[in-house]
Amino acid sequence: MIRLQNIEKVYRTDTIETLALNSISLDIAKGEFLSIMGPSGCGKSTLLNIMGLLDAPSKGMIKIADKSTENLNDKQLAQFRNKTLGFIFQSYHLINDLQVLDNVELPLLYRDTTAKERKRLATEALEKVGLANRVKHFPTQLSGGQRQRVAIARAIVGRPDIILADEPTGNLDSAMGNEIMEILINLNRNEGTTIVMVTHDENMAQKTHRLVRLFDGSQVQ
Amino acid sequence: MLKNYFKIAIAVLRRRKFFTFISLFGISFTLTILMVLTAFIDKVIGDNYPDKKRDRLLYVNRIEQKGKDNMTSGTLSYYFLSHYTGMMKTPVKVAISSGFNGTNTYVNNKKIAVSYKYTNAEFWDVMDYDFTEGKPFNKQEVDNADHVAIISEDMKRQYFGDVGPVVGKYIEADNVNYRVLGVVKNVPVTSYMFFSDIYLPYTVSKADYKSKSYGGGYMGVLLAASKDDVPKMQAEYENLMKRVPVESKDYQHLYSHANSFFRSYVDTGNEASSGVFIVVTAISIFVFIFMLLPTLNLVNINITRIMERSSEIGVRKAFGASSKTLVYQFIVENLILTLLGGIIGTLLSVIALWAINNADLIANLQLSINFTVLFIALLACLIFGFLSGVYPAWRMSKLNVVTALKAQ
Amino acid sequence: MFKHLFKLIWNKKKQNFLLMTEMLVSFMVLFAVFTLMVYYYDNYKKPMGFKYQDVWVININNSYQTKNTDSLDLYYETLRKIIKSLPQVKDLSFVSGNVPFSNQINQGGLTFKGKHIDHLNNFTAEDSYKETMDLDVLEGRWYNKSDAVSKYKLVVIDADLKEATFGKEQAVGKLLGNDDDKKKMKVIGVIQTIKRNGDYVKAGPGLYFRADTGSFRWLSKILVKVSPGADAAFEGKLYKTMAGYMKNSNIEIEHLTNKLKDTNYFAVIPMIVLSIVSCFLIINVALGLFGVLWYNINKRKGEIGLRRAIGATGNSVSSQLVMESMILATLSLIIGSFFAIQFPLLNVFDLSAHIYIIGMLLSIIFVYLLVLVCSLYPGRQAAAIYPAVALHEE
Repeated sequence: MIRLQNIEKVYRTDTIETLALNSISLDIAKGEFLSIMGPSGCGKSTLLNIMGLLDAPSKGMIKIADKSTENLNDKQLAQFRNKTLGFIFQSYHLINDLQVLDNVELPLLYRDTTAKERKRLATEALEKVGLANRVKHFPTQLSGGQRQRVAIARAIVGRPDIILADEPTGNLDSAMGNEIMEILINLNRNEGTTIVMVTHDENMAQKTHRLVRLFDGSQVQ
Repeated sequence: MLKNYFKIAIAVLRRRKFFTFISLFGISFTLTILMVLTAFIDKVIGDNYPDKKRDRLLYVNRIEQKGKDNMTSGTLSYYFLSHYTGMMKTPVKVAISSGFNGTNTYVNNKKIAVSYKYTNAEFWDVMDYDFTEGKPFNKQEVDNADHVAIISEDMKRQYFGDVGPVVGKYIEADNVNYRVLGVVKNVPVTSYMFFSDIYLPYTVSKADYKSKSYGGGYMGVLLAASKDDVPKMQAEYENLMKRVPVESKDYQHLYSHANSFFRSYVDTGNEASSGVFIVVTAISIFVFIFMLLPTLNLVNINITRIMERSSEIGVRKAFGASSKTLVYQFIVENLILTLLGGIIGTLLSVIALWAINNADLIANLQLSINFTVLFIALLACLIFGFLSGVYPAWRMSKLNVVTALKAQ
Repeated sequence: MFKHLFKLIWNKKKQNFLLMTEMLVSFMVLFAVFTLMVYYYDNYKKPMGFKYQDVWVININNSYQTKNTDSLDLYYETLRKIIKSLPQVKDLSFVSGNVPFSNQINQGGLTFKGKHIDHLNNFTAEDSYKETMDLDVLEGRWYNKSDAVSKYKLVVIDADLKEATFGKEQAVGKLLGNDDDKKKMKVIGVIQTIKRNGDYVKAGPGLYFRADTGSFRWLSKILVKVSPGADAAFEGKLYKTMAGYMKNSNIEIEHLTNKLKDTNYFAVIPMIVLSIVSCFLIINVALGLFGVLWYNINKRKGEIGLRRAIGATGNSVSSQLVMESMILATLSLIIGSFFAIQFPLLNVFDLSAHIYIIGMLLSIIFVYLLVLVCSLYPGRQAAAIYPAVALHEE
């Protein structure tokens, strides 16, 4: 599903060159649940951003769903993200001024859908994460776990093939974290969604199919 | 503590140069306009040249007669003024003068437009014109209908050119030669009750000043012995007018008032509508709208500035600053900003006034910044700073410590 | 998308309130300025209605009076001959005091076919007025000698009054007067409205009466058409001649060219002051808007990054932000227009509705442009935000 070949990422400032990723090659199969672990600053998030086409590698090649992504322009990239990828973040990134339902609908706004259709899909997604009774709330009225569930609903509402989760349980206590993990596992099992998750938590990582460890930009396992 | 605030304020202003620029631009410009407006109003109605004894004076500049469907309103006749004010006991002296009228004179094939005004002899006692040379005409000369004239500096320059004393020389106006008795400092035309280029005895007037009709071209100024006599004098005139019969059976009511300067200056010429009300309302509305926009703008920018500093506020709160001290700090900061804007505004006003004076928009009107203007500007500054600081400061004090800290 | 943005704005109404108030007040200020400008322009493009160049006004104060109409007429006819005999004088007409560009007014009202016409100027002039002023006669004719013996009371009206009374129909030959008047006036001609208040201020409708015997009692002004080269020396001669004849009068000669300049000056100065003031106000507002929008975008980096992540292009993010400002502007403009529309509806300042409407449209366009310009750059900036960075900043 995702194929990375010799990915390198270099950050340049005026004086220093930092090698964030060093020749990473990775093959992720369809339906796989992969976790990436490593200490802070090892390049996990950079790797995830590159997989999410939010960032371009300095060198190397990415293929997602058998499609080369090098020559896509801004508009095509945006379309691709919208259709194929779903994102979950540690700090949720919900829009506080929008109600839960509107937040979930957001990805659908960037494709051709009717308002009715959007509402149906968003409600469905919220049902899947067990928040059907919170549609009219604002994010600030929810607990951390609930917020992350809204974020998951938002990630799955467009039925993407791949979900990229950046420390989805990082801000949550273990009970809530497990809850979120449960949802992701079910999603992977029942819908066959490919999931790539960056995490700090060994316990969470153990629940996934495969574990990749990064250290100083290089793959160590 | 205040020194500390001051330091922070300067630091904050320097850090956010763009916002500081917007704020200062708004404040200084608003103040400039306010100061020019104040200077103008102050000059037009606050300048007491030539009627320096203003607190002892009452002005009569209109008579109105009203019937069922018709009304007539205008300046008064010489006869009416001299006859009825002559019956009054309180006024020490009564100045009677006509409004200014235009005529031409031709010097060396050059045309000069001349405004002339007829006055009685007491006019010069009641008014305090500044004579740069010569003296006013006296009762003797008025009674003799001598062809004598007092001219303005402006007129002297136009008619005689840049020469020495002109007293004793002759000036021709309206095809008559008048002997110049004195030269007075210019009066701007905005003081329409006292403005003229040439002042002549009313007895040389070609019009029939003995006519007994009420309406005419004259206005009167009553001088009381002291400030305390003014209300008495006003009441006496009011009572007198109640007894004056209407001129013809077309009319039922007659109104004429001896008013304070401001009231008479803004008289609308109609008993039913108050000039004071109209003028005050118009100026207030203008100032309100005019101040509203910059204030809103400043409030907007202040809120933005505060939100940007929410982490600083969070830290301060976390280390024990109360909401009150924070509000206080912010208002002080804002006042420093407005005062800074005030200084720039004052400089801009000086430039603006200089430009306006040079453009000579209104003849003889020289605007200047004096203490009244500065005081009003300072007051506006403070109100401005306070108003635009309070709401954002209140919003700031409501900030939750945790979210404020997190927002970084 | 539209609904989505609207929700976003609505849910942030507290933050947007001040911004909207600012736009609203700006709109009202612009509305005032533009309405005045349109009013001036509307009048400016109308023809002057006569040739004011080389026309002088002679003001006579305290003119000769006598109860005997014959000797009165004799006195003034002699004066006419004296003036006319001067070499550079082409024509002259005795007129009522309300000559063009003077402050004097002589107004009345008229109720014609149930419609009340206010601020109706009454002028009195002689047969020679047409030549002196080089009038533009649109319909019918100006007065001539034969009108002295007409059995009707005759009247010449101007285009504005014709428009108000007869509309598009022909006016000549029709009767004009108050509805309850028994003896109505017969219209013999329609002339182009003379812009007596200068280039920029509306003149208002006018009625012209023919001067008849005895009118000299109160016709206090003379309009004199002189040849183009007439100079101050000639003016001095004219002055001396008149002053010599009218020993007891005050005489003043003015040029209509100068009077027009003064009249325009008094109309234009407030306009200029108002424009300068509002110009600075608008710059002020623009800078403020720009600052606030810019800041908002910095504050919403996370949201922008997210939108990019879930499939918004850079352009759609920047156009979203511009759209948001435009919706805010639209809301303010709707409220503003509600207030503005009251002016023509309640007929507050006696201006015709189209002036208000154009003024309103201009200010709407201006506010939109202002907001567009102020949000374009911050919007562009937002498009340049790197989603990967924005999402990890918090």
